Amino acid sequence: MTRLPVGMIILIAVSALIFFGLAQRALDRMKLSDKGALAVIAALIIGSFIDIPVRGGANPITLNLGGALVPLVLAVYLVATAGTAAEKFRSLAGAAITTLVIWFIGTRLMTGLPEPAGRFGYLDALFLFPLVAGLTGYLVGGRSRRAAFVSATIGVLAFDVGHYFWLLGRGATGVRADIGGAGAFDAVVMAGIFAILLAEIVGEVRERLAGGPTREGKAPSLASALRKPDLGGNAGAGEKIQREKKEFSGISNSEEVKEEGRVRE
Amino acid sequence: MNKSRLKIYLAAGVILAAVAAASVYSFNNGRSPAWKPADLIKSLEGADHQVGYLVNIMDEDSKIISKVARGVSVGDQIIQPDGKHYQITRVGGNYARAKFLGNDTQFLAYCDYFENLAVPAAAVSLDGKNNLVGIYHTHSAESYVPTEGTESVPFKGGIYKVGQSLVQRLQNQNVKVAYDKTPHDPHDNNAYYRSRRTATRLMKDNPVAMLDVHRDGIPDASYYRKNIANEQVAQLRLVVGRQNPNMQANLDFAKRMMAYANKQHPNIVKEIFMAQGNYNQDLMPTALLIEAGTHVNNRQEAQKGVALFADAVPTVLGITGGGGFGGTGTGTGTPGGGTWTALAWILGLTLLGGGAFLLISSGGWEQAKSRLSSYVGREFTGFMGPVRGLRLRKRLSKKQKETLEDLHSEYSPDANEIDSENRKKIR
Repeated sequence: MTRLPVGMIILIAVSALIFFGLAQRALDRMKLSDKGALAVIAALIIGSFIDIPVRGGANPITLNLGGALVPLVLAVYLVATAGTAAEKFRSLAGAAITTLVIWFIGTRLMTGLPEPAGRFGYLDALFLFPLVAGLTGYLVGGRSRRAAFVSATIGVLAFDVGHYFWLLGRGATGVRADIGGAGAFDAVVMAGIFAILLAEIVGEVRERLAGGPTREGKAPSLASALRKPDLGGNAGAGEKIQREKKEFSGISNSEEVKEEGRVRE
Repeated sequence: MNKSRLKIYLAAGVILAAVAAASVYSFNNGRSPAWKPADLIKSLEGADHQVGYLVNIMDEDSKIISKVARGVSVGDQIIQPDGKHYQITRVGGNYARAKFLGNDTQFLAYCDYFENLAVPAAAVSLDGKNNLVGIYHTHSAESYVPTEGTESVPFKGGIYKVGQSLVQRLQNQNVKVAYDKTPHDPHDNNAYYRSRRTATRLMKDNPVAMLDVHRDGIPDASYYRKNIANEQVAQLRLVVGRQNPNMQANLDFAKRMMAYANKQHPNIVKEIFMAQGNYNQDLMPTALLIEAGTHVNNRQEAQKGVALFADAVPTVLGITGGGGFGGTGTGTGTPGGGTWTALAWILGLTLLGGGAFLLISSGGWEQAKSRLSSYVGREFTGFMGPVRGLRLRKRLSKKQKETLEDLHSEYSPDANEIDSENRKKIR
């Protein structure tokens, strides 16, 4: 890329930094610490360069480590560690609905002669997938960001698997099914991250429209976590700080508290 | 399931149904043939064989300036080879109305630049991978009816022959080409999601540009047919995706390509069309989508068309010297700016989006401000740690009794811990 002008190199670098910055902010809501989220980002980037060939009969499959396996492992981890059976079921139901909806819109509606993207080609698949997955996951999964992520990741991957069987059925011998091949920039990863962000924005707006988070009728430990933080820099005396510390130390995951009204872990 | 949950599902269902009904109505109202629910359960091939996709785009004087397939929407833009710049303001039935935005000065500047450019007669091949161009086909079934008998040949459309002509002509000029023939069938919007993998695979070879070669779907062969360089060829349309933060950079590349290609072979590029979509152009500032004629042109016309277009590629990409893609041209008067505009857009959007989210999630200006200042304090504590630590120690010895209060305002370890807990909560 020695021929690329400085402006273009900066453009590429800044775009990547913003994307990964957003991704890190999104991922640390997935039962990951700040450092854990960074580790996942690193795995996504390094994994982008690793394709794992899988014997797939007439149609070879390649599984990209960063674009398919890392997000899949994270999604499976989230489902496995979900608090209740109902929550697990809701996440997976969200994924199944996502698969069906993206197939229906992307393959049935947005098809045909019109170029460049078929009839109703008004929204690129890159943005369609997270929009569908984010909304489905959020609504079906009980207004949860994690459910949005699981729906997006597993939903899009399941769509890929479906496409592989479509290829087999069409007798398209030798056509490679390239699952997650675009690595960190694959629609699998982008759908997961944008779905979390979408759920986050919808969640915050909804909460704000409803007059902010409410503390009434919640257990004292939960209510204290929902108290408006005093970050103005002139907090009260040390006693207050110590008390806050105590209160907060009992709650390791405030997202759960905010969204689902119960503490897990 | 409790009642309130049921209500939410019901409301969501009603909204979804209303949006779907409204979009179906607005997209199809007045067009022929009208969209029918039966289309949804038709086979993909059936859907591909519909007719009547032509949308005539007219300027304010009702003069037809362009013809496109149905995927046109308000805000789409067109730049013509004479520099005229239009924007779609209204879409209805089989026509769309476009507003004249004036002449595109940047494009005209490129035309002037290439006009005065002394291009070396012999192509200079560069060693290494710096002259590699990536080529692929997102819609790999696209074919030409007069030649192939159908507009769609699954997995091996006539478009591959067109791609091969482009590759051949580029190689003749000592340009290295990475041609990925992976099919991305079926022919639908999801094909871009599949071809994104192919594009990324190509990018690992470090190309200077990436071309996604298509053909158009308008039922009018004469619209693209033209006599250029003593041959009957199909002209090209360059498509730039608007759903792409890099759009200005891709547009910049498209303008350079049209300016120089049309200087070499007048009218070989019919127009630049900025449409809804991303077309994987966010992957690279020099990614471009080319429509080589339409499905009712002969494939040979399209093959000749892309070959003439290929003549311009080495010079615009700087492979044959002579200014190139701006990399070496900063001192030679190369106009530019698309890249910086794209950068400004990305940064602007990020700040705007982040600011809006901060405002919503905090609930007001004051809260947002205090949250932001505490965030900045927190993030730079580690960076400025040693300096702050020294200052703190001095103060501690001075005012033993007010320690805790001071600690909080100066981001002591204790206060930081609380802040970080708070921030976890906020996030």
